[in-house]
Amino acid sequence: MKESLLDILCCPLDKHDLELADAEYDGEEVVGGDLVCTECGEAYPIEDGIPNLLPPDMREETPA
Amino acid sequence: MTLEDRRDEEPDVYQPAEDSHLLAEAACDRLEGTEVVLEVGTGSGYVAEQIADETGARVVASDLNPHAVRQARTEGVEAVRADLVSPFRDGSFDAVAFNPPYLPTDPENEWDDWMEHALSGGEDGRAVIDPFLAHVGRVLAPDGVVYLLVSSLTGVDEVVEEAGEHGFSAVAVADEPFPFETLTVLELLR
Repeated sequence: MKESLLDILCCPLDKHDLELADAEYDGEEVVGGDLVCTECGEAYPIEDGIPNLLPPDMREETPA
Repeated sequence: MTLEDRRDEEPDVYQPAEDSHLLAEAACDRLEGTEVVLEVGTGSGYVAEQIADETGARVVASDLNPHAVRQARTEGVEAVRADLVSPFRDGSFDAVAFNPPYLPTDPENEWDDWMEHALSGGEDGRAVIDPFLAHVGRVLAPDGVVYLLVSSLTGVDEVVEEAGEHGFSAVAVADEPFPFETLTVLELLR
């Protein structure tokens, strides 16, 4: 993901801002790390450059 | 690569079909290219990629399916794994496009894999469309527009009525008949 994506993303639970933590970069791309909610503290992982912004209870890999 | 090859390669991801083409074309014809666009349920990333390539708009794509967001990213689309519009800020998008799972499905016949999630709209075909309509208004800019693909199997009138409940007026901007259904792209405005 590009860092500029943070301008349009928010926490899916409480809609507050997210900040980047432990970011790993490949050039301009953020390829790893977490997006952490500034309000509730929930951390959303960035996996292979793709932020997983599913609420924690929906995060499993298998279909519901 | 042919469509058949792509289907074999990514059996867990809905690959571009007639509905994808109709939605991409309708959106590309109407966007100016200065917009910020969200494609919900991007699947392979085809519609998002078409909009970005044809119009120059900034396009972000979301999907629930981890295989789909990976394929979309491989195609060069900026992808986010998300449940509909839940992790996007208020008023972020000038346009939102969605080719939803819309086939009415008997609960006895659901097969519970990623492809079923991409196709099945529950018993009435609107199990995903209705929550989308309830929440999409939040992420739209004041003059924002929604391009929503629906099928006659889903009930276009019912979708228009539900959109109206959430303050949208709907216009059909593209239609294409097929042997078992007619596909329609609705443009929703507030």
